[in-house]
Amino acid sequence: MSKSSKMSIRSKSGFWILLVAAALLESIACIQYFTSRAAIRREACTRARTELRAAELEINVHTAEMEAAAKMLAAMAEYHIEEPEMMYGMTRILLNTLSNVESAGIAFIPDYYPECGHWFEVCSSRAADAPGGIYTRQIGGPEHDYFRAEWFHNGLSIDSAWWCEPYLDDAGAQTMVVSCSYPVHSREGKVVAVVCIDLSLSKLTKVSEYLQVFKDSYYSIRSSTGADLVQRPDTTPGRKYLTFDEEIDATGWHMSIIIPEDILYADLKKLGMLITILMFLGLALLVFIMYRAGMNMQRLITVNTQKERMENELEIAQTIQNAMLPKVFPPFLDCKDLNIYGSVKPAKEIGGDLYDFYIRHEKLFFCIGDVSGKGVPAALIMATTRSLFRTITSHEEEAAAIMRQINDAMSENNEQNMFVTLFLGVLDLNTGVLEYCNAGHNAPVLLPSDRSVKEVEVLPNLPLGVMSGFTFTAQKTKMQPDDVLFLYTDGLTEAENIRHELFGEERMNGVLAAAKGEELGPRNLVMKMQEAVTAYVGEAQQSDDLTMLAVRYQRPAIVMRNDIQQIPTLSEWIEGLDIPKELNMPVNLALEEAVTNVMLYAYPGQRDGKVFVEYAENHNEHEKTLVFTISDCGVPFDPTQAPEADISLSAEERAIGGLGIHLVRQLMDEIRYERVEEKNVLTLVKRIER
Amino acid sequence: METTIQKNGNQVVALFKGRLDTAAAVTTAEEVKPLMEAANSEIILDCSQLEYISSSGLRIFLSIRKEAAAHGSKVIVRNISADIRQVFMMTGFISLFEIQ
Repeated sequence: MSKSSKMSIRSKSGFWILLVAAALLESIACIQYFTSRAAIRREACTRARTELRAAELEINVHTAEMEAAAKMLAAMAEYHIEEPEMMYGMTRILLNTLSNVESAGIAFIPDYYPECGHWFEVCSSRAADAPGGIYTRQIGGPEHDYFRAEWFHNGLSIDSAWWCEPYLDDAGAQTMVVSCSYPVHSREGKVVAVVCIDLSLSKLTKVSEYLQVFKDSYYSIRSSTGADLVQRPDTTPGRKYLTFDEEIDATGWHMSIIIPEDILYADLKKLGMLITILMFLGLALLVFIMYRAGMNMQRLITVNTQKERMENELEIAQTIQNAMLPKVFPPFLDCKDLNIYGSVKPAKEIGGDLYDFYIRHEKLFFCIGDVSGKGVPAALIMATTRSLFRTITSHEEEAAAIMRQINDAMSENNEQNMFVTLFLGVLDLNTGVLEYCNAGHNAPVLLPSDRSVKEVEVLPNLPLGVMSGFTFTAQKTKMQPDDVLFLYTDGLTEAENIRHELFGEERMNGVLAAAKGEELGPRNLVMKMQEAVTAYVGEAQQSDDLTMLAVRYQRPAIVMRNDIQQIPTLSEWIEGLDIPKELNMPVNLALEEAVTNVMLYAYPGQRDGKVFVEYAENHNEHEKTLVFTISDCGVPFDPTQAPEADISLSAEERAIGGLGIHLVRQLMDEIRYERVEEKNVLTLVKRIER
Repeated sequence: METTIQKNGNQVVALFKGRLDTAAAVTTAEEVKPLMEAANSEIILDCSQLEYISSSGLRIFLSIRKEAAAHGSKVIVRNISADIRQVFMMTGFISLFEIQ
C-alpha cells in the first residue's frame, strides 16, 4: 500500500471523526438550549404569577383603604347631613388621617342646600402652600360642573363603592387620579351626595415595582375600560413577548407583565454563544490532537516496521548462528571411538556462546567459548571466532599455535574491546592424547572411567582479543577409554534462581558425580545437566547464554594389572577385535612384548600399577591402519630408545634379552613414544594396504 | 601351556602344546630344565602343537640351545607352524637352530 493512499484513509477517517464529534457537540448544545429555554420560561411564568399576585394584594390593600375611607366619609356626611359647614371639617380630617388619600370630596346634588347655592362640592386636597398642607374649599361652580362628571353620575346611580377611570384632577390635586365614589344618603334614604376619594396614580406606581420582574421587562395596569393606570410599555416594533395577565376583582383593573423574549433569553443566548465558541475551540483542539496523533501514529508505524524488520533479521541471524554450530548428533557415525554432544541455549535470540568440533587427520578439534557481552555484537564476534577456529585448525594442529593465531587475528582492530574466553582441545583419536589450551575459560571437568570428578588443570592464559602477540601455553593429558570431558560456559555455573543464588560448581560437580551408566553418554549427560539447571532456576529469567559440550572418548580397550599373569587376557581381547585373522598373531605378539616391557620396567618394585591398551582403526583410500596405544602411569620409560638387537650373531654371542622390542619393531610399521602428563604413551601402528 | 619331555636313549623330545607367552614362560622355563642337563644327546623341540611363542619363549629356546652347545648336544626344532617360522625369521633364530 502506498503512502499517499494511507494518508488519504487517515484524513478520511479524521474527517469522519470530526463530523461525528461536531454533530455530537451540536446536539448536546441543542438539547441544552431547548431544555434551558423551557426551564427559563417556566421560571419566568412562576415568577410573573407570584409578582402579579403580590401586586394584586398590594393594590387591593390600597383600594380597600380608599373604599373604606369613602364609606367612612359617606357615613360621617350622612350623620351630619343637616350641617353643610361640617363637610369641610370631615374632608380635612380624612385627608389628615389617611396619608394615601390624595384628595377627598363630597359633592351634593344640585340645590340640596339652598343656602349653599346650585353647586356644592366640598373638597380637601393636599397643597404644600396651604395651612397644614391641606387646602379645603367649595369647588363646585359653572367652571367645575361636577354634575356632568362620570364619578358623580355613577356614584348616584350605583349604590356601592365605584372606581372611575383615571382622569386629570383639575380641581383638586391637579394630577392624574383614580377616584372611588360612594353615595351619601339623606335621612329619607335618598342618595343626595357622592363621596369621592382620589387616589394618585403615583401611589400605584410604587406597586408596579413588583411587576418589574426583569430589568428590561414591561408591565401595565389598565382600568376595566382599558385606560392605562400605570404603564411602562414597549415601543419597539416586531418584538416577541411573553405576556402574563391578572384581573383585580374589586376594581376590575387589569394587570399585565410583558417580557420581551430577547430579554428573557438574553443569558441563554450568551451561554449559547459561549458554548458555540467552546465547541469550535474543542473541535480545533480535536483537529490538532488528531494531527499530532496522526504524526505519532506514523512514527509508531515506522518504529514498528523497523522493529519487525529487526526481529525478522534477528530470526535469520539466529538461524544462521544455529547453522554454525554442529547439531547433528551423533556427528561421526563412522567413528566409534568418539561420542560428542553439544547444546547452546542463548538468553536472547542470538548469543555470544559458541562450541564447535570436527575431525581432521584422526584428530578431533573442538572448542567452547564465551564472548564478552550479549546480543548482536557478541554474536558477530562469536561468528568470527568460529570462522577463525575452522580456518586455522584446517592447517594447524598445535593447540598453542592455533590459539596464538586466533588471538592475533582478533586483537587486530578490536576497537570495541570485545574478548572471548575459549577452551580449545585437539584430541588425537588414535592415542587419546588431548592437547589443549585454555584462554581464560572455565576449566572443563574430566570424568575418568573410575568415576571420580576432577577439574582439568588449566594455565592462566589471557582471553582472546585482549593482547596481540600473547604467547599461549598448551597442556597435554591422556584421555583413557570411557573418560568423559565436560565443557561449559559460565551460563551454567552462574545460572540464577529467583533469589539470585548461583547454580555453582558444587551443584554442577554433584550432578556429574551422580551420573551412572547410560547417563554418562554425552547427550544424556548434557540433558541431565540442563534438567538440573532448569529445575534450579525455576521461574527466574535466563540471564546468560548457556552452552555445554561433552566429549566421551570410547574405544575398545583393555585394562590390566601390573602382573604378567594377566598376559593371556590380552590375546582373548585381541581375538574379540575386528582385525584380519592373519594379523592376529603378529599383533598379539607385538602387544605382548610391549606390555611385558611396561610390566618389567615402568613399575619397578610394585604390582598395583595398571596398563591400558586401546585399539583404534583408521581408513583411507589407500590403506587401513590399526593403531594400538599402550599407556601406563609408571616411571618414564621409552622402549623406542632400546638399542637394535643384532640378529646376525651366533647363539653363543647373543644376549638373552632385547628380543621383545626387536619383535615389536619387526611386527609393527610404526612405534611412537610420548610422555603425557605423568603417563607413558606408546603407540603401535600396523598398516594394511588395500 | 603344556610341556612333555620324553627320553628315547640318545634322543630327548620336548613336546610343546599350547601358547608359550610370557605368563606361560615362567613354568615352561622350569619344565625344560631336564633338557639343559642332557649331555651328548639329540634334543628335539617338537613344535607341532605349539600355537604361539613370544620373546620369553624364544629366550627359553635360546637357553636350551646355549646349554646344549655347552654339553655337546644338538638341538633340532621340528614341525614349526608358519606363524612361528615367521617369528624365527624375524629374530634370526632360523639360523640358530636346525629346523626340520
